[in-house]
Amino acid sequence: MHPAIRSAVFLTVGIVLALAIAACGGSSPASTPVPPPPAPNPFAAVAGIVDPDNHGWPREVEGLNGRITIAAKPQRIVTLSVGHDEMTYALVPADRVVAVGSATKNPSYSNVAHLARDLPTISREPEVILAQNPDIMVTSPFVKVEIVESLSNAGLTVVQTSLENDPQARINNILFLGYIYGEEDRAVELAAEVQARFDALQAVVAAKPDSARPRVLSATRYSDKLYTAGAGSTEGGIIDGAGGVNVAALAGLERNPIISLESIIAMAPEVILIPQPLEFGAEEFRQDLLDNPALAEVPAIADRRVYLVSGILYTTLSFWNLRGTEDLAKILWPEDFAGKEFGPFSFPE
Amino acid sequence: MGIFARKAIGSYRTASVTARLAVGAGALGVLVLSAAIASLALGPLGIPVSHVAAIVLDRVGIDVADFTITEKLVVEQLRAPRILVGGLVGMALGVSGAALQGLFRNPMADPGIIGVSAGGATGAVLSIALGLNTLFFLALPLFSFAGAMGAAFLVYGIAAVGGRVSMPTLLLAGVAVSSFLGAVVSAVIVMVPADAALREILFWLAGGLDGRTWEHVRIAVGPILVGVAIITLLSRDLNLLMLGDEEARSLGVRVRLVRPLILATAALVTGTAVAFSGTIAFVGLVVPHMLRLLFGPDHRVLIPLSAAGGALFVVVADTIARTAVQPTELRVGIITALVGAPFFLFLLIRNKRQAEAF
Repeated sequence: MHPAIRSAVFLTVGIVLALAIAACGGSSPASTPVPPPPAPNPFAAVAGIVDPDNHGWPREVEGLNGRITIAAKPQRIVTLSVGHDEMTYALVPADRVVAVGSATKNPSYSNVAHLARDLPTISREPEVILAQNPDIMVTSPFVKVEIVESLSNAGLTVVQTSLENDPQARINNILFLGYIYGEEDRAVELAAEVQARFDALQAVVAAKPDSARPRVLSATRYSDKLYTAGAGSTEGGIIDGAGGVNVAALAGLERNPIISLESIIAMAPEVILIPQPLEFGAEEFRQDLLDNPALAEVPAIADRRVYLVSGILYTTLSFWNLRGTEDLAKILWPEDFAGKEFGPFSFPE
Repeated sequence: MGIFARKAIGSYRTASVTARLAVGAGALGVLVLSAAIASLALGPLGIPVSHVAAIVLDRVGIDVADFTITEKLVVEQLRAPRILVGGLVGMALGVSGAALQGLFRNPMADPGIIGVSAGGATGAVLSIALGLNTLFFLALPLFSFAGAMGAAFLVYGIAAVGGRVSMPTLLLAGVAVSSFLGAVVSAVIVMVPADAALREILFWLAGGLDGRTWEHVRIAVGPILVGVAIITLLSRDLNLLMLGDEEARSLGVRVRLVRPLILATAALVTGTAVAFSGTIAFVGLVVPHMLRLLFGPDHRVLIPLSAAGGALFVVVADTIARTAVQPTELRVGIITALVGAPFFLFLLIRNKRQAEAF
């Protein structure tokens, strides 16, 4: 064969082979779309969920009372704390909550009192709880271990969990309860809503310089005893979140200790919050503070920055305390939030 | 006749009452005054002692040094009324304890142990639960007094047989009545709706001298000082009652009048104290016993000194309570119990040894 013809044959065969190999190799990177990476599982980092990939039944969770198996999607739910009730109502249709404690029905203590108004009232007496025929009870660490054990022994699925109020824990609480109730989609939706509102708030207050942050004291008075909110308290978390300086925490106080009027002078707050219901003497307390001549030089008293605030927003352990943070941010930074109205959180449709 | 009675009679016959009273009153007077000044100077807001002294002197018209208006207001409006209420409460409990121990011829008698404090607390809780304290300013003290008096007469009625009081019966009756009244308080707490009244009851039961004002001083000072004066005037009769009713009667004591009068007066001062501080344990037990060891059992000395000693004990305990862990506060009852409970046990062991020796 002539060398030129031989070269032409080889070239033709090479091109054909190359095209054939390309055709057999499937889609090329240029011609076929790459599938998106799987979305991260929002439940993967939530403490207490044993297998975040298990979205079927039964499922297991690690409560404060040990590893608990939830056999089926709970349809008859009870809890024994206002915070858990507020979260439960935000995660499941209201008709799946079958009974609540008396505090949840009291509008002075609860953000969901209007939803729970007609439900049976339960106490911490196991028989009273079992009489409502619940299929799950979610409860706080404040319920005695004997009660949890006797209810578990009676066949009720009991999950004991704590509610923390720092921003990340708030999201985890929602996701954990959503998983327990089998309402993962709603939990993700609510968590996103809560996170978005928190982020929007932080976009304003986080930029504030330390020197501009007001010194804030939370104080309540019951039977002549004065209580404040130090580090680790719900009100303290709200003050921090709203860009204030919690003077009680600064003074080394933790949780909700008793203080004296004199301590208020020593702490010199620029803003005093009274998260106490009106029927428990909040207005009288405020007036007594403003009228007390010994307190006249306290900046908050001198500037009359003593505010009655909603106890149910400032003391709840559920995500509703973010509404308290929003409320306080508006008090502390009126120019930044002028005209801004913060609404309630969404409920399941 | 017991050791307790023999000692009292011996003192009554031989002691120089005036001298012991003068020494005791002088010493306790200095201590009470020192404690009050120290208490005025201590608190979350650091106020130098010199400023406190200047504020006190300024009050009597002597201008000696500088102080700020805030310091003056803190001392005069916050610390002084609290110290005075504490002093009055201590005075009431100390005198009440000494009187009841003499009346019942029982060294263990104390307003807390024989149910008088529980009666006062029950009365106060009922007035709150019924909402009377919000309608009528004096309802709580009056109910507290009525409860204390009712409990005192109930225990006395159970323990007294033919004018003599059985010591074991007295203590057992006191325990039983206190338990019963404790159950009444618990029942009230359970039945009261979860509203302001319940909170008020729970916080009131915690006791303490928080937030005392001149208004509290004005209400408490009358009944307590009158009660202390009555018991002091009856201190000679208390000495004679320790001989037994028959002997006391033969020595001119109108037993049928004096016994209930002392009991009612002890209930009055205890009820008033409880109304303003809640139950503060062991003051009525510790103070008279301590003073009896130092100054003897003569009630003419013991009663007035118990007033001063009780005031000293409560003022010091409250100062510790409000400054030890500031800016938060401890309950004053924690401090009195930390001192009182070991002392009570000491008395029990001591009495046991004496009984064994005889």
